[in-house]
Amino acid sequence: MTNYLIRRFFQMSLVVVAASMAIYFILWLAPGGPLDELKIAGAGGRANQGFSEEQIARIAEYLGLHRGPFWGYIAWLGGEDWFDDIGRPELQTSSCQSVESTCSRGVIRGDFGVSWNVARGSPVADVLLSRLRNTMILMTSATVISLLIAVPIGIISAVKQYSRLDYFVTTFSFFGTAMPVFWFGLMMIILFGGNQSPLYKAFGFPYLPTGNVILVRNPLPGSLLELLNATPGSTVDIAVHAILPTIVLSLLYMAGWSRFMRTAMLEVLRQDYVRTARAKGLRERVVILKHAMRNGLIPLITIVVFQIPGIFGGATITETVFNWPGMGFLYVYALGATDYPVAMAFLFISAVLVVIASLIGDVLYTVVDPRIRLN
Amino acid sequence: MAVAQLNSETLSTIKEESWFLIIGRRFIRHKLAVVGMVFVLIFIFAAIFANVLAPYDPYKQNLAPPYSNPSSEHILGTDELGRDVFSRLLYASRISLFVTVLVNFVSETIGVIVGAVSGYFGKWVDSLIQRIVEFLLTLPTLPLLLFFSAMLRGITIPGLPDEWSKAIIISLVLIAFGWLTATRLVRGMVLSLREQDFVQAARSLGASDWRIISKHMIPNSLAPVIVNLTLGLGGVIVLEAALSFLGFGITPPVPTWGNMLQNVQERMWQQPWLAFYPGLCIFLTSLSFNYIGDGLRDALDPRLKL
Repeated sequence: MTNYLIRRFFQMSLVVVAASMAIYFILWLAPGGPLDELKIAGAGGRANQGFSEEQIARIAEYLGLHRGPFWGYIAWLGGEDWFDDIGRPELQTSSCQSVESTCSRGVIRGDFGVSWNVARGSPVADVLLSRLRNTMILMTSATVISLLIAVPIGIISAVKQYSRLDYFVTTFSFFGTAMPVFWFGLMMIILFGGNQSPLYKAFGFPYLPTGNVILVRNPLPGSLLELLNATPGSTVDIAVHAILPTIVLSLLYMAGWSRFMRTAMLEVLRQDYVRTARAKGLRERVVILKHAMRNGLIPLITIVVFQIPGIFGGATITETVFNWPGMGFLYVYALGATDYPVAMAFLFISAVLVVIASLIGDVLYTVVDPRIRLN
Repeated sequence: MAVAQLNSETLSTIKEESWFLIIGRRFIRHKLAVVGMVFVLIFIFAAIFANVLAPYDPYKQNLAPPYSNPSSEHILGTDELGRDVFSRLLYASRISLFVTVLVNFVSETIGVIVGAVSGYFGKWVDSLIQRIVEFLLTLPTLPLLLFFSAMLRGITIPGLPDEWSKAIIISLVLIAFGWLTATRLVRGMVLSLREQDFVQAARSLGASDWRIISKHMIPNSLAPVIVNLTLGLGGVIVLEAALSFLGFGITPPVPTWGNMLQNVQERMWQQPWLAFYPGLCIFLTSLSFNYIGDGLRDALDPRLKL
């Protein structure tokens, strides 16, 4: 086991380094970076408004883009504070050259650099942390709710295969996999969100907020928030804001996971040991709960483990539709605004979490199922 | 003996059923798959004859006021620039269907070849390919797709009209992550086929590796690939729409079902149909492809049923 873990850690770091290189160099090659924008702004004869070559060079030096892809990657990964120690101070950014404390310390020391656009000038780590709470609220509630519903539903649907419930579950999961989340989200907003929603207009059904995590002003009359007398920033306020995105996300997960559970359980129910248990004359209840279900739950590890990167990364589309300021929304925004340090940090952390999650998954499988050996 | 009495005349009355007929009959038993087939045919028809069926130019800003309600002139109303929504939906089906078909056929082909090579040659080729596939499969797809389409945003293919150039660029991004499942599928099939007698026989007759792969391995593992392809058609339609919706796919003024939903948020309570119909098209085509795939799975390989 120790040997296995050591080898895995070695492989994992290799994968992470390869992934980070890929991310960095693709971004380097991509057109439309910050310098391109300046060049375009300088073109077209607007000499007094545009940027001169010299100014662009200064900005490149400020952003650290003057050092080229190779040293740029080294600096991004390992920091730039040691460049003057090896006699290459020209590779440092201009601020690092003058003030030692502003030097980037590199990703491996937890410094993801400074945001270019989303929150210009503030450290990427702070920008990410400010969104982490919102994403975790949304993702954990959606994950827990969908697991609590999808697992029993999948199991029952497998046990009672071809029953009416089973048909309902399979149809539901078909609809769920074909459903474009953003459309579903928009339809939910139209139905339940805001004081223009038909349900509110026709029946006075208390409407739900459509965006943001907390109130900025006092709740409007007729909304659920006003009904519950929510104050901005309170738990109630956050919970009510989370209702619509959580429902959308949960239904989506449930569609996939209930089918997954059903398949896993059907597989187990076909096994010989289940037949043996029945042949011994055990009651069906005992056969299902004691013999089948325990084994049917094993594949669930995969789902739960790969939710770890998801809980950090958030749900890109759902967050965007509901204007939920979480990680996924931040990532889309950063990509759109060519804020590469933020986008890179997001992708890098996601890659690390994915690698860790798959290790946890593999180890957990050996714990739950002793037949599986790691080698 | 009854067997001995069988003459050529009675033999000729026993009709040999063609493979397609058997598959077709089994497929028709799946009612929803047939319904899905009808829907898909309607969408394909609409896409091919969009220029005939569309009452207006999808790009032209008509004299109609923006955001007009459905009427006899504009059966689904007009959008923010006064363009006919129905015509735009028709033209959008062209792009969306083109992208999904292109992506799936190319990625399935890549998957078949890579999977067959990986499974057939084994050893380090196999473990290298499988490690790469495993890693790519665990990555969150959407952020990466967004990343690549953001990187390729400014690039156009020279000599092609704007809409097709955009469609091909986005297809390339989707193909980059589309070949993985097919690769795994075919590799698994090839691994089990490799040990079978007819492959041993072919090898002992001196058939080359390539001949064994192309004549024996690939044809015998095609059934699950066809099913995978059909199910993939539904998935890619939604993915492409999601990218376009987020502004990283095919950008306006080229109409796609995804980007038609992009700007509806301001007016969606006043004109809910603007948000409703494009999404409904995505949902219906995707659902139809999924049901067709399900029907094909039942028809092609009953053992595959999950």
